[in-house]
Amino acid sequence: MKNNLRERREQAGESQGDLAVAVDVSRQSINAIERGRYDPSLELAFKLARHYDCAIEAIFDPELAD
Amino acid sequence: MTETKTSAKQRIDRRKRHKRLMYGSLAVGLVGIVAGSFLGQYLAGVLIYWGGFFGMLAIWQFSPVTLYDERDVALERKASDYTLGVLAIAGVLGIPGLVALETAGVLTLPAAFDGAALLFVGIFATFAVIYTGLRLRA
Repeated sequence: MKNNLRERREQAGESQGDLAVAVDVSRQSINAIERGRYDPSLELAFKLARHYDCAIEAIFDPELAD
Repeated sequence: MTETKTSAKQRIDRRKRHKRLMYGSLAVGLVGIVAGSFLGQYLAGVLIYWGGFFGMLAIWQFSPVTLYDERDVALERKASDYTLGVLAIAGVLGIPGLVALETAGVLTLPAAFDGAALLFVGIFATFAVIYTGLRLRA
């Protein structure tokens, strides 16, 4: 599933490590999500959406799936 | 740094520390059993090994922080799937093939083959029991 997490994170001026700490996963997991190599659980998707104060579908787009 | 960020950072640091302790405990156990074998102190070696192993399990289970995130768990699950797949293909094709070759007099299977075949059957029987249990609960 494609996503715009990297753009959102960079707009917020955060590093992958910062975001990882905020949503309680490893930096490697954030990197894998940004590169589209790992689809997060619903719980983590909610955490990311809450962190950026937006809806899940504003970050993840199933229509853009590979 | 906000208070929330500080506590999140502390949680990550704690996770790293507990992981190091976990692997350290296992390493002590492994060194113990190897050293015990070399020194002829097998019982002491096994006791240290068990201690290290149970220490690792205790840290993993009772750590107040989550030591592995969801991607770690997903990767482990995928690796287990692939391992079972490889074992299934190797066993389903390999065991009857080797028996057929022995029957045809092409090769002689070592005595350990029966044990290995039994272990193979045991692994998949265990899988079937666990799978059935999970299916009934789901």
